[in-house]
This record gives sequence, C-alpha cells and structure tokens, in this order.
Amino acid sequence: MVSQLLLNGLIAGSVYALVAVSFSLIYRTVRFFHFAHGGIYTAGAYLCFTFYSLLRFPLFLAVICAVLLTAVLGAGMDILIYRPMRARHVSSLVLLIVSLGLLIISQNIVSLVFGDATKTLRTFIAQAHDIGGARITSVQMIIIAVSAAVCALTWLLMQFSYFGRLMRAVANDRELSRAVGVRNDRVIMLVFALGSALAAGAAILVSFDTDMTPTIGFGALFMGVVAAIIGGIDSMPGAALGAVFVGLVQQLAAWKLPTEWQDAIVFVILIGFLVLRPQGLLGKRRIGAETI
Amino acid sequence: MESFRCKGLSKSFDGVRAIADLDIEFPSSEITSIIGPNGAGKTTLINLLTGFVRPDVGRCFLGEHDITRLAPDRIARLGVARTFQDLKLILQVPVLDNMMLARPHQAGETLIGALLRIGVAKEEMRNRDEAIRLLRLVGLEEKATDLAGELSYGQQKLLTLACCLATEAQILLLDEPVAGVHPDMADKILDLMRTLRDEGKLILFIEHDISAVRRIADHVIVLDHGKVRAQGPPREVLERPEIMEAYLA
Amino acid sequence: MELRRSDLDYLLHILILIGIYAILAMSLDLLVGHTGLLSVAHAAFYGLGAYSAALLSVHFGIPFVLSVILGMLTAILASLIFSLPSLRLHDDYFVIATFAFQMILFGIFNNWTGMTRGPFGIPGIPPPSILGLPIRSRIAFVFLVVVFAVLCFQIVSRISMSPFGRVLRGIREDETFTRALGKNTVRFKVLIFAVSAALAASAGCLYAQYLSFIAPTSFTVMESILVISMVVIGGAGSRWGPIVGAIVLVTLPEALRFVGLPNDVAANLRQIAYGGGLVTMMMFRPQGLIGKYGFGR
Repeated sequence: MVSQLLLNGLIAGSVYALVAVSFSLIYRTVRFFHFAHGGIYTAGAYLCFTFYSLLRFPLFLAVICAVLLTAVLGAGMDILIYRPMRARHVSSLVLLIVSLGLLIISQNIVSLVFGDATKTLRTFIAQAHDIGGARITSVQMIIIAVSAAVCALTWLLMQFSYFGRLMRAVANDRELSRAVGVRNDRVIMLVFALGSALAAGAAILVSFDTDMTPTIGFGALFMGVVAAIIGGIDSMPGAALGAVFVGLVQQLAAWKLPTEWQDAIVFVILIGFLVLRPQGLLGKRRIGAETI
Repeated sequence: MESFRCKGLSKSFDGVRAIADLDIEFPSSEITSIIGPNGAGKTTLINLLTGFVRPDVGRCFLGEHDITRLAPDRIARLGVARTFQDLKLILQVPVLDNMMLARPHQAGETLIGALLRIGVAKEEMRNRDEAIRLLRLVGLEEKATDLAGELSYGQQKLLTLACCLATEAQILLLDEPVAGVHPDMADKILDLMRTLRDEGKLILFIEHDISAVRRIADHVIVLDHGKVRAQGPPREVLERPEIMEAYLA
Repeated sequence: MELRRSDLDYLLHILILIGIYAILAMSLDLLVGHTGLLSVAHAAFYGLGAYSAALLSVHFGIPFVLSVILGMLTAILASLIFSLPSLRLHDDYFVIATFAFQMILFGIFNNWTGMTRGPFGIPGIPPPSILGLPIRSRIAFVFLVVVFAVLCFQIVSRISMSPFGRVLRGIREDETFTRALGKNTVRFKVLIFAVSAALAASAGCLYAQYLSFIAPTSFTVMESILVISMVVIGGAGSRWGPIVGAIVLVTLPEALRFVGLPNDVAANLRQIAYGGGLVTMMMFRPQGLIGKYGFGR
C-alpha cells in the first residue's frame, strides 16, 4: 500500500516537476508570475492532439511539432505583449494581471476550437507492471523517465551552457547584463520559448495517461507554482524536489483525508513555506522577510 | 527624555559584516551625526534601530523598553521617526495628505471610526491645523495643496522632515537630510534641525557633507566597516588626521 | 423564480445581475484599487456567502437578513484564517496565496458532497423572506439588490474618504513609508480583506436566493478573474469605476446573445472579451475607464 502511494506520488511529482521547472525558469528571468503559462500548457496538449489525432501525424512527429509550436506561442506572447510593457517599466502587478487575461483568452480559444468534452491521447494499451507490490503502467514509467531526463537536461543546460549563463546573468541583474552587452530581450524571448516547450512536454506526457479538457492548465499551473515555491523558486533542482514532495504529500493526503481536503493540505504547506521559509527547501535568496 | 541606545549590535548580510558589535548611547536632546565611508553600515544602523532590519546579535533600547524585535511601525509609534535615503513620500497625493497620513492616534483610522464617522470630522480639522502649522514652520505652507511629486528635490526632503515632525516623534533619524540639495535649502534644513534640538528632540543624522556636520552636530560618530572608529564633539573628531584620511581616501 | 420570456422580466434580470456584480466589483476594488492587493479569491468568498445562504435557508428557513449576516460572518472567519498568515507576503506571493485559497475553497464546494452535494449543487433554495414576507416578484428583488448595492456603495465610500482610506492608499503607494509613519499596515490589510470578503459573501447570498439553485461552477477562479476584469475595465480605486465595470461587463456580453450564437460559443466569446479587456486595459489604460489607480504604472 505504501509503495503504491510512493509510486503514485512519484508519477504525479514527475509531471509537476516539469511544470515547476518550466515555470520557475521563466519567473527567475522576468520576475513576475506568468500565469498564462497554464494556457500554454493546455495549448501544448491540444496541439499534440491536433497533429496526432486530427492530422494523423506519426506520434513522434506530432509531439515534436506540438512542442515547437507551443514554444513559438510562448515566445510570441513575450514579444507581442510582455516586451512592450517591460519597455515601459510597468510594475509586476500589471504584468500579472495581463497574464491572467492571456490565461483566460487562451483557455477559451481552446474551448471554442475543440469544445469542452474530454479528449484523449491515450492510444496505447496501458501495460501494467508490478514493482515491489505496486502497479505501474508502461506509460507511467515513460512519464517518470522522460520527465527526469528533461529536467536533468534543462539543469545541465542552465549550469553549463552559454545560454544558461546568459539566462542567469539576465535573471540576476538586468541592468548589469545589458551593460555588458547581453541582448536581454532576446534572452528573455528564448527563455519563454524554452519554458513553454517544457510545459507542452509536461502536458503531452500527462495526456498520455489522463484525459484532456480545456481547464487542465489551471490545476497544472497551481501545482507547478506551489512546487516551485516549496522547492525554492531560485533553484531548479529545488523546483523538481518540491514537485516530488508535493506529489507524495498529495498521495498521503488522499489516503488519509476525505477528497475535499486534499488540496487544503497542499495549501497549508504552501502557506507554511511562504511564511516560515520563503526561499523554499533549496533556495538561497531571502524573499519577503525584510522590508528594505 | 528617554535614553536611546544599542548594545552589542551585529548584522551580517550574505556573510559580509555590515555592523560589528556596536555599543552606542545616543545623547538626548543633542544632534548626533554619523559619518563614514560608503558601505560603513550607516543606513543599516538606522534600519536596525527602527526595526526595518533584525540584528543577528544585540539589542536596542528606548528607555527601559527593549525595541530590538519590534515591528517598525510599533517603534515609530513609540516616538522614533526616520527618513529614507531614497526619499520616500506619496508623490501622487497632495503635500497635506502626506502630513495627515503622518498624524498619530487617529480615531478615523479604525474601521468603526471610518464607517460611523463619529467625531472624525473634528479630528480631521485638528490634524489639518497642526499639519499646516508644521508646514508653515518648515516653510512649505503655500505648497500644501500641491502634489508631493510636484515639489523640488529640496522641498521634498523638507517635507519628509515635516512628516517626521507630524508623527510627534521625539527621536528623529535622518538619512542624508541635505545631500543633493541647494545650499539655501540646506541652510534651511540645518537651521530647522537646530531648532528641533533646542526643543528637546534627539536627532541622529547620516551625512557625507562634512561642513553640515561641523555646523550643527553636537556629537560625531565615525563608522567604518561596521565599527565605531571614533566619537566625540566635531571639533575633536574632525581634526584628527586619520579620520580625514579615511574620508579623502 | 421562473424565467419568463418577457422583455421587462429580462431587463429586470439584467439589472439584478448588474447589482450583484456591482457589489462584487466594489468590494474587490477595496482590496485591489484602494489598497493595491490583488486577490484571485473573490469568487471563493462569493461562494461562501451563496452556500451559507443556500444551506441555512434550505435546512432552517431563516429570515434573509439573518442568513446574510451569518454568511458574512462565515466569510470574515475564512478571510481571517487566510489573511493572518498570508498578508505579510510581498505582492506577487500574496496573489499566489489567494490563488491557492481559491482552489481550496472550490475544492470544498465541489468535493464535500455531504454538505454541498458537490457538482450537483443545491437546488430549491427558497426566495428571501424579509420580515416574514417572501420576495417572489422580480421587481421586488430588484429593489432588494439596489438596497444592498447602495449600502455597499456607502460602506466603500465611507472607508475610502476616511483616514482609514488614506492609510490604505498609503499602503498602496508605499507601504514602507506608511509603516515608518507608525501605521500597523498588517492590521489595515487584515481588516479591509475581511470587509471585502464579507461584502462579496452578501452578494453570494443575494445570488443564491435569486437563482434558487447554485453549483460550484459559479465560483471558480474564472469568476474571480471576471470580477477583476470589471474592476480593471471600469476603473480601479474610484467609487464609480467598479459599477461602470459591472454594467459594461454584464450588458455587453448579453448583447452577444442577440446575435444568435449558440450558448457555449457565446460563453467562450464572453470570456475572451473579459481577458481581452484585461490585456488591453493594462497595455493602454491601466486606470480603466474612470479609475484613479494605474497599478503603479
């Protein structure tokens, strides 16, 4: 029983990890909460559905196209909406409100085009395996494996690549990075592209296992944000760790508590972290504690 | 008048010592100036004394009151007012509104008071009169209805000082009150500080302008790397060659 | 109340909706426009009021005023449980916390089937009874809503134009400066959050006993964002702005209905309009149509 819970927690956590990593990547660079990320997530899943189920692309190609197109969408959002507002030095609150608007628009476009009925990418017969007394399907194993691999690759990219250094420069001090010649807007656009691609990946993975509706973005966004904050919004391994933590806690809560209180546990933990340890499990910067 | 002092105060940021084991008693009804090179910890000291930053070790006292871990608004209510290096004011509202905001003990600031409006109008009038009196004292009376953002830099600095007075604080901590200000305005501000001291207030100010320090400080404290390098009357402290070196260096 | 296909009835129905949303928008503006605190949890308090009124009147048949009071108290209690730990957080993190709170409460509405009958909602809510007389006619309900809306307006006005409101604006523009002047900003934020929640709950009570049926789908994050749209489009930080916003965002989409689109398409287009309104306003006119606060442009 416990091993099943742990396994389920790991499966859920892997998906949250990808969403959390993608979200925190963007947040660290632009310093406002890009809620429209939830809409990007949804778009990723539905684009894959379009390519695969409607246009009859081979699965691999459908996934690639969906991820790339979602990356373009995310970058487009930045270029068309956020960038001009950044140039006017608006407050992060304004950007947050804009992103809420974009979230609504994207979710409703999906709903208009595809309808609200559930869609599915579940085309494989889920072959169940037994690991230490717990059941896991091959699809779920793929989810864990792919998610872990992508998170690891992203982390390596951030730590060791030229782009990673550029991103961290912009994230740490935008004035300084501009002063040394970094094209901030370019970097930010690429970060949006990458983050959106990762979100699409997460959405597609999830849709192999569960059904899709236009509102999946909200729940995923919520979990991703919570995981990122609990793990430490300034740390990518932290986001992944926070995600697994949230996944496990949710499963334990599902075991012991009636359904209506499951999210409440996550909320309580989130509030606990925000108040007691705002930098999360692995974060370094102290946020929210000192006034000046 | 209560004593204002700190004992064993230390604070580090990310491993860098900003304030190291400070023991200072600020003399009542005197003007004390804190000088020192950039990064010496002067603003941090004000932040520590006013509750905006928590010390790692040490305590601050207002009389017998241990104010070390109190919230900044609590400390302000105990009679300690401060200004900020980056000139904080509500720029989008009139000068008078800033002053009215500073007035303490307003019944109209309770929810019940706001909703039931009992006696609030009278209180507003009293506060308004006092605010205008203070604006007259600092010479900003004509600007009362102008937006704070429309004032010149020097006038805004004067306004921040006036707001401190509006809080009825007896202890004023001023962060660079005359920096970047026209000499005539600087004179005004310095004269005002002297008047306030004569009325019995304890004034602590940070400055880089040594002439200002020479003019009005009763007591000078030299801070460097978070430690007190020297303290005493200005004539004494400022004549010492090693202090002047630290400044010209 | 049956919906009859008569023009007057329809007009009155619109007026009632405008009234209810005006209360929601005005109460949210206390937080967003006056204090500078963005909350995505307004629908949660709206829902708390609706469910309280529904359950109390279905199971106990109490007079309307009493159910409103109890609904408001419930909302105040919930708001305190939320705000006391959360109001120390900086802007962005506070919004996240309200997002989490909204998701939690929706989860409770949707999953606590024992109490709320979950997604099936609560039907058969009796019409409000004032002094023993049930209010069945639509016109009478319009009057009821107008009374509540006017009361709400009065409360918002008084708060805004009082020293309390002055401190709220101080918190909005520069909280550090306001604290340095000796104001306990946390206390103000907790209080205004509670007032905002209570007023939203009162709108919920009106809604529940007007429609005689409520379901969780009326109290989602989307609904919160819709109210935000009304505040932003009408104009934040002003007494009339939210009312203008409510009028615009209730009537304009109803016009869509006359174009003859299928219901769900109309619903999507309506929400796209809300989202578009938010984006457009923030990009070009953050203070909205007649507002005073530009969100620190």
